[in-house]
Amino acid sequence: MTTGIVFDIKEFAIHDGPGIRTTVFLKGCPLRCSWCHNPEGISREPQIMRSPAGERLAGARYTPGELAAILNGQADILRDNEGGVTFSGGEPLLQAQFIVETVDLLDDIHVLLDTSGCASEADLRQVAARCDLVYYDVKIVDAALHRRHTGRDNGPILYNLGVLGTLGVPYVIRVPLIPGVTDTDRNLADIATLARGAPGLLRVDLLPYNQAAGAKYAAAGMTYAPTFDPSAPVNANTRPFERQGVAVHVA
Amino acid sequence: MNERLEHIKGRVRDREHRRWRQPAAPDVLAECEAQALSWPRRAARLTRRMCEAEIPVLYPDERIVFTRTVPSVPSVYSPEEWSELTAGCTLHESGPISNICADWGMALSQGLLGRRRVALETRERLAHDPLAVEFLDGAVESIDAVLALAARYERAAREAGRDDIAAILAHVPAHTPRTFHEALQALRLLQAAVWLSGHYHVGLGRFDQYMWPYLEADLRAGRLDVAGAEELLAEFFIALNRDSDLYPGVQQGDNGQSLTIGGVKPDGSDGTNALTHMVLRVALDTAMIDPKINLRLGPETDLDLLQLATELTRKGLGFPQYSNDAVVIPALTAHGYALEDARDYTVAACWEFIIPGRGMEVVNIGAVSLPAAVDRGIREGLGGGADLDTVFTYTAKDISRQVSALVEAYGQLLLPPAPYYSVLMDGCLEQGRDLSQGLRYNNYGIHGAGSADAADALAAVAKLVIEERRVGAAELIAALDADFQGYETLQRMLVDEAPKVGNNDDEADGMLGRLFDWFAEACEAIGDNGRGGRVRPGTGSAMYYLWLARGHEGMREPVVGATADGRGSGEFLSANLSPAQHARVRGPISVLQSFSKIDYTRICNGGPITMELSDAVFRDAESIRKVAMLVRTFARLGCQQLQLNTVNLDTLLDAKKHPERHKNLIVRVWGWSGYFCELAPEYQDHVIARHMYSAM
Repeated sequence: MTTGIVFDIKEFAIHDGPGIRTTVFLKGCPLRCSWCHNPEGISREPQIMRSPAGERLAGARYTPGELAAILNGQADILRDNEGGVTFSGGEPLLQAQFIVETVDLLDDIHVLLDTSGCASEADLRQVAARCDLVYYDVKIVDAALHRRHTGRDNGPILYNLGVLGTLGVPYVIRVPLIPGVTDTDRNLADIATLARGAPGLLRVDLLPYNQAAGAKYAAAGMTYAPTFDPSAPVNANTRPFERQGVAVHVA
Repeated sequence: MNERLEHIKGRVRDREHRRWRQPAAPDVLAECEAQALSWPRRAARLTRRMCEAEIPVLYPDERIVFTRTVPSVPSVYSPEEWSELTAGCTLHESGPISNICADWGMALSQGLLGRRRVALETRERLAHDPLAVEFLDGAVESIDAVLALAARYERAAREAGRDDIAAILAHVPAHTPRTFHEALQALRLLQAAVWLSGHYHVGLGRFDQYMWPYLEADLRAGRLDVAGAEELLAEFFIALNRDSDLYPGVQQGDNGQSLTIGGVKPDGSDGTNALTHMVLRVALDTAMIDPKINLRLGPETDLDLLQLATELTRKGLGFPQYSNDAVVIPALTAHGYALEDARDYTVAACWEFIIPGRGMEVVNIGAVSLPAAVDRGIREGLGGGADLDTVFTYTAKDISRQVSALVEAYGQLLLPPAPYYSVLMDGCLEQGRDLSQGLRYNNYGIHGAGSADAADALAAVAKLVIEERRVGAAELIAALDADFQGYETLQRMLVDEAPKVGNNDDEADGMLGRLFDWFAEACEAIGDNGRGGRVRPGTGSAMYYLWLARGHEGMREPVVGATADGRGSGEFLSANLSPAQHARVRGPISVLQSFSKIDYTRICNGGPITMELSDAVFRDAESIRKVAMLVRTFARLGCQQLQLNTVNLDTLLDAKKHPERHKNLIVRVWGWSGYFCELAPEYQDHVIARHMYSAM
């Protein structure tokens, strides 16, 4: 039987999409972005988070039925408040089959996929087809820079972005603004070019980096090693997008 | 706030007005003894001498006057006489009538002269009844004292060239106010005189209902615009903060100046009006601890009003507190309240529902320790063969025993006469009876404290001892006795592997429901409380989340040690309706769902679901709207009462020092929220610094 590994379920996740939402954080990610703020979402394996408040196991196994039962128990409330369920991570598409089976068991709930796009085309297609909205991260357009800061090629990510545009599912491009890495005028202009006239694109969200990104590493027994200067100011430049006629929003 | 109001507020914050305070209160005792006055007459004399002792204070920039100068309330009995008088009796808290609500609307509209006429008519009718005559003479004496105080302020205003204030005081509180301004001035004096008479927790009732006719008439006639009205309201609110240090309470600020807005009218129609919104806006603007706003709402209350209320929550003052009419009103009618009265409820000092002008209720005669009852249930019930029903039986029995003990202790309750307060109540002057003799509603209220810990303890026993048999009964009891010393693995199992209230888990929530059902049964079984009233069970904890865990001098309630939910001895119990401190929960939706399972028609003493939100969670307009939706969800799920707290700096600092107490504290970090206690210290400091900056 398919099972999924979830490192947190957070209610009233009001910044993870429209309305009142419950966000399911799926464990495991192919990327190694040096600014990642969810270090416990990187590995597929359950791990213990140790803090002065005690210990907690991040990573619980659910069957689609178990997870759907929890979410369906809130369906009326989420619907009543213009919200729904968000699948985030980690990279949720690594557990595409689990999401598909879970969503198929859900009552009528708005579903949002929050993805890095670093996944197989087939997985993106089958999950996105079941979603009402997709939040799609685009970090760096330059291939070499992308490899350097995330440990992965951006080829599949940019390819899947094109695929997403053909699926008829509305989506938002999300850009974490990492000082000197993703927030350069050059990179923003590249993203704006990608976004121009992209079918189905609602807007671009710019998410400024915050000093606290490394906060959970110690609890996860990991070390925060940013490949950039975290104290540098963030360049939240919306001009490149405005020039291309792309709706843009700084979160 | 404009410059004038900032200045007035500044004076209060700087305590500048305290320089007018006199060194001591007047001596009332000597004349009471010399004239051998009865208790009712002494009470009236106290009001009179306190009013007479007041020295008018007029600030040139004030438009609503009265600054208290008498620093304390003197005794009307010597200590020896007092102990003789009260021997064998129970006094509620410090003695004087407190924590009830006047019918301010009636008092304003009749004016003190109108009330005086009623007193004199009744006196003529009941001339043969010496007790009634004595009461009414005292009532008239107190009315005359308040009128004389107003007259002295009027003269002082005239002398200071403030003809505007003099003209107002020439009319109120003697007569029906002609304007909103006059109504506020009248209310200021009427309420101040209640404090001067030695009463405390003096609530302001359904302010937007009884004040609206005056404001509406002004607005309609073009005498006043909204900005002008809000300025007056702000001045009135600021004035309520002047004497916090003189009001008795568990902590300073615990002074019961509650003010209720919103909700239905006695006829059942929606009572929300422009003043409802104005109160929220002005409270947001003045940002002081008084008055404490209670907003009544229903499942259909519009989101705009709730968004305005959420803006106030964001300020971090700890209000508004929300009460759900759709649940409260049926609970009150089920406890014998007439429908029109139930619809007219207001909120007392903390959360208790009372009827303005009609309730002489003692809403907090004590608390039932639900964890102590479960502890008893476990020890006595698991003795023979481990069987859950027996645990239930003994738990229910102990709840019943605790309720009976509290009611018994109040069997000899002595309520002192309150002639002036009676003037402001319905029917006292009409019937020639002091309110201490009883009003239409004379119920008692008991808090049901530590409910989440208690339910979790039962759920742990059901799962781990009875069902899975992984823990032996004797082992559990030994572990509790040892405060888990040497039983750490068992403690972890109790904490981590048993269901917890706050997760919409039917096992744990079922236990919560049972506990309150047993509590309700115990109260219902009492029948008459000895004063023609009933005993109302509630869901609040007040300070008992601490007292029941650590003890408190003079407390009647039992102290509990370690509990079967894994909580160590001395650790705080859950506050009001909230998950146990060490229980991990998914979030606010599940918490509301858990607490929506209580049968609130049987539970009507109030006690809010209490949640903390980081103020950063609702920073922009969109998130404010979502928090407002959460409040609406509370109402739609059929919960009774809600208190949302914005996490403030003190909480964060405490969370840093005592992370174990704040496991569920969520802070907004970046484009995400995290558990504060899982952040490394330097990041915690960062969040703290941010809150420090935003608080500046």
